[in-house]
Amino acid sequence: MQPYELSLAAAAREIRERRLSPVELVDSVLDRIEQVEPHVAAYVAVSADHARRTAREAEREAAQGSYRGPLHGIPVGIKDVIDVVGVSTTASSRTRAGHRAASDSTVAASLRAAGAILIGKTHTHEFAYGLTTPQTNNAWDRGRIAGGSSGGSAVAVASGAATFALGTDTGGSIRVPATLNGVVGLKPTYGLVPRHGVTSLSWSLDHVGPITRTVDDAALVLTAIAGHDPRDPASVAVPGVDYRPGPEPDLTGVRVGVPRTYYFEHVDADVAASVRHAIAQLEALGARLIDIGIPMTRYIQAVQWGLMVPEATAYHQATLRAVPELYQADVRILLEAGELMGAGDHLRAQRARTLMRDAWARILEEVDVIAAPAVPMAAVPSGQETVTWPDGTVESVSDAYVRLSSPANITGVPALSVPVGRDTAGMPIGMQLLGRPFAERTLLRVGHAYERTQPARSLAPVT
Amino acid sequence: MSSAELTPSEAARWAARAGLPLPDDRHVAVAVTANHIHSVVAALRELDFGDTPPAGAFRAQEGKHDAAV
Repeated sequence: MQPYELSLAAAAREIRERRLSPVELVDSVLDRIEQVEPHVAAYVAVSADHARRTAREAEREAAQGSYRGPLHGIPVGIKDVIDVVGVSTTASSRTRAGHRAASDSTVAASLRAAGAILIGKTHTHEFAYGLTTPQTNNAWDRGRIAGGSSGGSAVAVASGAATFALGTDTGGSIRVPATLNGVVGLKPTYGLVPRHGVTSLSWSLDHVGPITRTVDDAALVLTAIAGHDPRDPASVAVPGVDYRPGPEPDLTGVRVGVPRTYYFEHVDADVAASVRHAIAQLEALGARLIDIGIPMTRYIQAVQWGLMVPEATAYHQATLRAVPELYQADVRILLEAGELMGAGDHLRAQRARTLMRDAWARILEEVDVIAAPAVPMAAVPSGQETVTWPDGTVESVSDAYVRLSSPANITGVPALSVPVGRDTAGMPIGMQLLGRPFAERTLLRVGHAYERTQPARSLAPVT
Repeated sequence: MSSAELTPSEAARWAARAGLPLPDDRHVAVAVTANHIHSVVAALRELDFGDTPPAGAFRAQEGKHDAAV
């Protein structure tokens, strides 16, 4: 096994035991990037020299007995909407030409302090406003979409071009690409991970979180990046926690809500079968399954759009007037049309959000987690714009990928996506676990317990 | 087209009122997209909100979200 193939937890163990040096790991990942990048285009920019220099410092620290923790010497890909000092935050947009970040975002600073090594900035759908990331190819089939908007991060992790990555999630942008590429994605509770220094898509819906090979890895990253920063007005002070799940896969007493509405409607048959099979595994581990209804489903898309559309347009106010022609067509039209939404519609979305949060809180008193499909279908071929369901309903691909993700953005509850199978074309399928606000430990415990019942997943064999 | 939908010229006028003058070749596309967005968010008018306040993150004191008074 080559070092680039190691999970974060496995690489950390090797580095701690001095069986692997950060230099060897970084060199291995950089070699892998050279091998796969022509096929997948996950990165906007790779910082090879900087990464090698930092790896040598990490190696010296380790040799002196100074070990910063499990991220010491671990290569990370960072979505290119997240500031890293001295590096351009392009947001994969021509409007950001010449940009240089003056300081680290809070999460980049946290990762740096924990010893992680920035290996490069990963592609995003332009300004995180889309679900495909067209610059990047799926790690398992380059003719299919990467998913988005954190497509570069998910593809890098799935193909061995980063040991872990950071993404952002406003309507599914961590969980969708993670699922479509067969890796783990965690959208934490709104306010748990600070967003200072992260380019906003929609202030009231944006989250930052990890994309990793395993649930255990996601817990290690969350432990490093969670925390209070008053420069993010949504940031919440919660006690520092070690999120890493225990080794015991026993779920006795855990109440798992299985939605009878919404999450299994207009879902590909392979996806539904794989997720129900995974839920049966949770039951076999001791969990109690409870049938639940999802509230206010008629209004989910309306709330998501009523919040996101005017907020995104507001963020881009100046640039949209100065250089509109530099945006991609799909993003430009949404920003322009967003100018036409009335304040009444935006406020109704905010008030409906309050109702939805309260209704979800009542459900989450009855169950500890909700288990559901992460997305309705696996990665579609690049260029496919709509999906037709068996009842004749036609849905845009973007709407379909957002549909099962956005409830967690609206309500702010944490959501973890975990690979649970393949469809008939061999493309990855994911299960989504949702929980009470700040109950990430419960989600990670359940996700990890499931993962331990399955054989270890391999990297995408990109050639 | 329902009476609530914007024509291309109305979309251009609304955008101009918002401070975004649109070139002529944008009017149709912006009207179509704006009307689609409107058709989605209009569903919220069915809800009885009562005294429900909007969700928001405003606090009077910057950076003291967990401070004991």
